[in-house]
Amino acid sequence: MPAVEMQGITKYFASSQVLANDAVDLSVGQGEVHALVGENGAGKTTLMNILFGLTRPDRGTIRLNGTPVQIPHPNEAIRLGIGMVHQHFKLVPSFTVAQNILLGIEPSRYGLLDQRDENAAVKKLADEFGLPVDPAAVVGELSVGLQQRVEILKALQREARILILDEPTAVLTPQEARELFTVIRDLAKRGQTVIFITHKLLEVIEVADQVSVMRAGRMIGSKPVRETNLKEMARMMVGREVLLTVDKKPVEPGEIVLEVEHLLVAGVGGHTAISDLSFNVRAGEIVGIAGVSGNGQTELVDAITGLQPVDGGTIRLLRNEITNQPVGDRREQGMAHIPEDRLRTGLNLETNLDENVIVSRYREPEFQHYGLQDRAHIQKLAEWVVTQFSVASARPGEDIATLSGGNLQKVVLGRELSGSPKLIIANQPTRGLDVGSIEFVHRTLVDARDRGAAVLLISVELDEILALSDRILVLFRGRIAGEFQDEQATKEQLGILMAGGVIEEEAS
Amino acid sequence: MNEIQISQDIITLAVIRSGIRLATPIILGALGFAICSRAGVLNFAIEGMMLFGAFAAIVAAFLLGNTYLGVVVAILAGGLIGAFFAAVYLKYRVDLVILALALNLFIAEMTVFFLRVVFGAFGSWSDPSIQQLPEINIPLLDQIPILGPLLSGHNIIVYTSWFASFALYVVLFHTRFGRHIRAVGENQSAAETVGIDVARVKIFVLILSGCLAALGGAFLSVGHLTLFTRDMTGGRGWLAVTASLFGLNHPIGVLFTGLFFGFADAFAVRLQTVTDIPPSLVQFLPNVAALVALVLVGARGKLREELARRRFRQRAQQEVAATVVTPAE
Repeated sequence: MPAVEMQGITKYFASSQVLANDAVDLSVGQGEVHALVGENGAGKTTLMNILFGLTRPDRGTIRLNGTPVQIPHPNEAIRLGIGMVHQHFKLVPSFTVAQNILLGIEPSRYGLLDQRDENAAVKKLADEFGLPVDPAAVVGELSVGLQQRVEILKALQREARILILDEPTAVLTPQEARELFTVIRDLAKRGQTVIFITHKLLEVIEVADQVSVMRAGRMIGSKPVRETNLKEMARMMVGREVLLTVDKKPVEPGEIVLEVEHLLVAGVGGHTAISDLSFNVRAGEIVGIAGVSGNGQTELVDAITGLQPVDGGTIRLLRNEITNQPVGDRREQGMAHIPEDRLRTGLNLETNLDENVIVSRYREPEFQHYGLQDRAHIQKLAEWVVTQFSVASARPGEDIATLSGGNLQKVVLGRELSGSPKLIIANQPTRGLDVGSIEFVHRTLVDARDRGAAVLLISVELDEILALSDRILVLFRGRIAGEFQDEQATKEQLGILMAGGVIEEEAS
Repeated sequence: MNEIQISQDIITLAVIRSGIRLATPIILGALGFAICSRAGVLNFAIEGMMLFGAFAAIVAAFLLGNTYLGVVVAILAGGLIGAFFAAVYLKYRVDLVILALALNLFIAEMTVFFLRVVFGAFGSWSDPSIQQLPEINIPLLDQIPILGPLLSGHNIIVYTSWFASFALYVVLFHTRFGRHIRAVGENQSAAETVGIDVARVKIFVLILSGCLAALGGAFLSVGHLTLFTRDMTGGRGWLAVTASLFGLNHPIGVLFTGLFFGFADAFAVRLQTVTDIPPSLVQFLPNVAALVALVLVGARGKLREELARRRFRQRAQQEVAATVVTPAE
């Protein structure tokens, strides 16, 4: 008897006129690791929100261990033994691990709390499940991986037998992801049922027993993982053949476009973020910066793009020193920036497509008319972005807030590439995107390189770095731990350097 | 010599006692603001709530013929304003700042209106039948030299403000409900997903802040004086907001920052009587203190960051210097 059985689940969102779930069936066995995959907007999260009581379905039934249940509210879901770890953690940063795990169910004596009781309770829970945490540590100071562990423990403390994880690896480093997979397998062995939402198909193969694929609100199919493969899952997900590798011409590097010498940048709180870093990027090549997140990527990008002051060293763009120049001047000289957070830094979701597209170029005479904005030209640019970058469902003059993640990233790409830039800084350009959109972003970056642009690609996805880069630098603790030509690099070597190890030269 | 002479003249027991008294409405208002801030509610209506409390206290004391009852009515009236605030904010999702502005303006004009319509008074009103809140001498404490005369012999509202500071500290940091308040303030969706009733928490803090601010107002109209004048709070509610920010929204911190502003106020009054400094300049003193406090609070993060950055540069230069020297050796 399946632990979870959802039948004919239908949900229509009137406000956005989206049929998010169309008669979806899902069956998850007891003690099973079940991957729920699909592109963004396929309806995975809606389906899980229904199971967790955050969204009410229009139609359909839910059975837990054969018993029909109604789940009108998360409290009821928790009571029924369902726990959910959301993509954005629901933690209180200034509280300790124990305070977060016990929030709402604190043991108290005469209304007064006892820190020692709480820490002991959490310690016991952590030992029981083999998930070590320091109960007295402040959550805001923990790594993302540990914060996620706190979320999992929070669900387990509430005696969850069915654990839903919403894109759990999206925020994790490869090492943290691997640890999480071990935890998931352990939980399954103890009889816990784990449903995890993802669109990274490699993860499905690595950790899941069963995979269910959704597309456009429908359930396309459910299969045991050993009976399927990457290609088949990708086809089910996207509805067509997907290129998993990127074709590109051999590299023909030209002149040096970006030159960084002895760069020194302080991170938040004054620790060393970038230390004596030197490298260059030539026209017509993609230089990939690999590394576990938090090794100085953000500070490096911010220093090059002018978002953060430099504490030492020089940065040159086409032989011009730009070390202390403002952002606007750097852009005028041909720098484009695809920021890692498209929702906050990359775009303004409160306004329309036109303003988002013009924001980096409004000073150019072409878009001005006696000092006022030239609406017609701006609209033309917006139209160009929509057609060139096939931004589905976006129209000039209309708001962009309702666009999907992939389409939003296409708007960013369109804006940044519209002025044919000489240098493109792409920071985590495919984070959180589905397979189809990733393919598009990769294609676009390679095209820009073939046209002679210098591309600096910063990514924590090793596969992305390997697929796109002509040259690979590994960033570890603010320094370059190694440099490779594309064809020489292997995943293993990069992985060792990323973790701070040393590659031993083979005695030949 | 000379300096000592002056300081003895200026800082007397009376000045400190007066500082303690003047701090009372500020402490109470600041506690109200702090508890709201802890729950993530920006309550800029402290000034209005305080003014309403001052008005309600003196009117009720007059009508009921008992000042203590007047104070109780003021607390209830403040709670009612808080409940109204909560209802409009939670039910109709009105922007908090706009709502507070409206409330402040409305209460300021409403008190003037009723003063005129009911009592026929313009600007200020009093009645000889209204008794001031009595001073309470605390047994034993009043025997101790220096401390006794300082801490004993205040009215009930002064003691309540001190007690409230400690009580709120215990509630916020050592009880379940207090922890839920802080959870709501820091990450509302975290609180919601574990089943904490966020609306209930917000209603509670707004009612409580209304009660506290109104009690502070009652101190002005029946504790400190027996008089109501238009705009009697005169910005004390805003000073309370400053004190709360300066005290980092911590009840004990608020007790001290409130006292600090009270002393600044008393000191300014004292300066006017014993020196020739122009009164307009001296009256400005507490506001300068408030301004400095706000700048300090605002610049806290930035300052820390700048200092850290400077240390980093120095360290990095030393490292570079060290690496340059090494090969020569």
